[in-house]
Amino acid sequence: MTDLILDNVYLILLLPFWIFLIIMGGRFFSVYVNKKIIYALTLLSSFLGILLCGATLIKMPPTIEQSFPFIKINNFILSFGLHIDKLSLIIALVLFLVSFCVQAYSISYMKTEAKSYRFFALLNLFNFSMAGLLFSPNLFQMYAFWELVGVVSYLLIGFEYKKNEKSEASRRVFLVNRVGDTALLGGILAVSYFMYNYAGNFSFTTLDFEDMNAISTLLYAYTSTLQFYLISLLFIAGAAVKSAQFPFHIWLQDAMEAKLPVSALLHSATMVVAGVYLVIRLLPMFMLEKNLLIITGAIGLVTALVCSILACIETHPKKVLAYSTSANLGLMFLALGFLNVKAAVIFLVAHAFIKAMLFLCLPKDDEKITYANFITFLVGALSLSGILFSGMVAKELIFAGLEGQTSLAVIFCLVAFFTAFYIIRLALLLVKDRELVKTFAPARFIPAVLLLVMNIVFYFYLKHEVSYKVAEPFWAALAAWGAVYFVYRKGLLTRFTKTPRFVEDFYYKTLPAVYERVASVCSFVDVIIFANYKPLISCAKFKVRVVGWVEENIMNRSVSLTASGAKKISEWDFKLQSRNVQSYNAYGFILITIIISFVIITYTLVLSQLS
Amino acid sequence: MAEITMYHYLVLGLVLFLAGILGSMIAKNVIKVLISIEFMLTGININFVTFASYCDNANFNGYVMALFYVGIGAVELAVALYIFYLMFQKKESDNIEKYSEL
Amino acid sequence: MITNPIIFYSATGLIFVFTMLALCFKNLIYSLLSSVVVFFGAALIFYLLGSEYNAIIQAAIYGLAVPVIIGVSIMFTKGKHEAGKGFTLPYLTMLFGGIFVLAFVYLMMMSLAIMPDTFHLMGLAQTTSMDNISAFSKGIFVNYVWAFELVSLLLTIVIAGISIFKKRGA
Repeated sequence: MTDLILDNVYLILLLPFWIFLIIMGGRFFSVYVNKKIIYALTLLSSFLGILLCGATLIKMPPTIEQSFPFIKINNFILSFGLHIDKLSLIIALVLFLVSFCVQAYSISYMKTEAKSYRFFALLNLFNFSMAGLLFSPNLFQMYAFWELVGVVSYLLIGFEYKKNEKSEASRRVFLVNRVGDTALLGGILAVSYFMYNYAGNFSFTTLDFEDMNAISTLLYAYTSTLQFYLISLLFIAGAAVKSAQFPFHIWLQDAMEAKLPVSALLHSATMVVAGVYLVIRLLPMFMLEKNLLIITGAIGLVTALVCSILACIETHPKKVLAYSTSANLGLMFLALGFLNVKAAVIFLVAHAFIKAMLFLCLPKDDEKITYANFITFLVGALSLSGILFSGMVAKELIFAGLEGQTSLAVIFCLVAFFTAFYIIRLALLLVKDRELVKTFAPARFIPAVLLLVMNIVFYFYLKHEVSYKVAEPFWAALAAWGAVYFVYRKGLLTRFTKTPRFVEDFYYKTLPAVYERVASVCSFVDVIIFANYKPLISCAKFKVRVVGWVEENIMNRSVSLTASGAKKISEWDFKLQSRNVQSYNAYGFILITIIISFVIITYTLVLSQLS
Repeated sequence: MAEITMYHYLVLGLVLFLAGILGSMIAKNVIKVLISIEFMLTGININFVTFASYCDNANFNGYVMALFYVGIGAVELAVALYIFYLMFQKKESDNIEKYSEL
Repeated sequence: MITNPIIFYSATGLIFVFTMLALCFKNLIYSLLSSVVVFFGAALIFYLLGSEYNAIIQAAIYGLAVPVIIGVSIMFTKGKHEAGKGFTLPYLTMLFGGIFVLAFVYLMMMSLAIMPDTFHLMGLAQTTSMDNISAFSKGIFVNYVWAFELVSLLLTIVIAGISIFKKRGA
């Protein structure tokens, strides 16, 4: 069977990477000085990605496997390639849709920046790494792209690396992400170890997603309960850090130092989605123990509550949106905790469209917001709070999946209330001190409208496909609007602006202090015990004397001899260099004569020996 | 006077080449150096033609090579003389020792 | 091919003598004239070796064209000659160089004397001049056509370049 599209799906993955190489290499060799070529190539890559993803999704193959063996160690054959199914295709389609809009937006946004070609190249690399993560056939390749996503986000956040606070923020983001990466790597290696030692089939060692059910069952059978919990918790920790869940949500605040397009991409479809995607892939493992699902859901719920409340106090618009991202991803985790994968994916897609649109509507730091952007922002806010379009459907779906547990439903409604509250509060804050401007910038406006159109199209698709009913979260959000109006009239909007920084303080102050205490205890052992042990000291003194003698008499002598010899040679050589062409000619002739004489002597000797 | 062999021609070419090298090393006048370089090329040409005549009766590749050498030697001489003309305008001398500083 | 010793030795002697004269004359014009004699002697040697075409080219280019342009450049420098300051290259270097040259020549002769069969001589084929010309044409237009084109390109570049430089200078 030959199919033009299905045979060439690898282009989805490779196209952004090629464009990245073309832009970087072309700039490095000064081939493409023209910026328009870079813009066109970047847009083309994501547009072709959309077309290919969409076409593949319409053809709807069961699964596509295109891979080649990458590492071969005896029975351990790690393959590198593509594993495409419906889930990864949907998320990849959303990824390319969002990144197309964001790239179109950043053309006008980055017009005045220096070295903007690097920015576009990195956007392409971001697409490549995220698509590679989505299409990975096994956990090892997924880990590689997982790290690549982290590295590219580090590069993009620290794009203006000469500004100190930006480079520091990018470093913090990278370090916090490292925690999750390490946990994930530990989990992968542990599972691989058990599979290699206990499973009969060596093909399980590479942890292909296709065999995930069998691998989970085998792992459950071969490990003790504690081990199984530990391994699964490592995976959950990795996913939670990448998705900015509660104890680690701080890196998303630091990531706010990035440019607006980067934030839009990072928060919607690229980086934070990776954690949710990993959890979906590993659900067969978590299903075996009920408690693991409860832990996943609990992490999500706590994050949603805490971050929603924090967002109500924060005043910086980008940070509010960052808290909101953490909270919404928490809702996805909650849905996954109830094995409600469909609702989680629908919420992921809806959230990607809404959040990217909200970011694209924000003005630059020193600009005022325009009328057009503000109205789009308001529509997005309504959608995010669950009153309009796909945001409403997704939220109701998650709520319906809670299976009528009253306490959870109350907390969920609380979260919905706070979500509506902080987003409308943010909209009011945006226009509070600054006036709206009437200028119309189509290059900044159209990408946001495109995302809104996608949101609406997705809503009608959901209306056609999914059955849902309007329930409590909708009314909670409506109530929040009233509450905001009340607060606004009373002038209390910016009364509570001091954000509690317990988690940040724990990471940046308590942990270093503990580390220093431990280090001082260790040095105490060093100082008290080793410094007073006589034989050790005399031995060290003797060693120092021997080393000193060797250094003085052998090392130094030889070094100074070399130096003086080199000096003599250079003096002699300096005399030879008379700047006279003819003397150089003579030296060359003499040297060539010597060489040819030796060649002839050897040649004659060898030939006379032979004869 | 024995029969004339290939080696006689080779030695003639070698001597012409060495004379050219000697001249290019000791001559103080730029034009003389250029003439010496032409001597070297002539010696090499004699070598080529000799080998072609004695060892290669089928193709005479050496003749063709000697032809190319004559052409390239003429080109090189023209370029060298133009460079000399420019340098002479600058230094107002044809003594090669004046040319040691660029 | 002409293998007459008398003609060969006389031509060789002519070349030797006029080479030394060309190197030793202080007057550049005399030096140039004696070098012309050397080039014509080389053309004679080519003729003796049986390559009339090479001989004609040598006589035309080296015997006539090259002396003309060298003579023109001598005319440029006329009246501004500086007397040579003599021999400044270190004598020791020259001594070693001479010893090496002598050793080189000696080694060449020795190796040739030891291994006379190293070169696979084909014997003297009695070829007519027509054969030579056809071999030439085959060499230029078939075997080495790219090199030929390259050389002609080089010549064109030099002519164009010199005219451009002249225009720029003016």
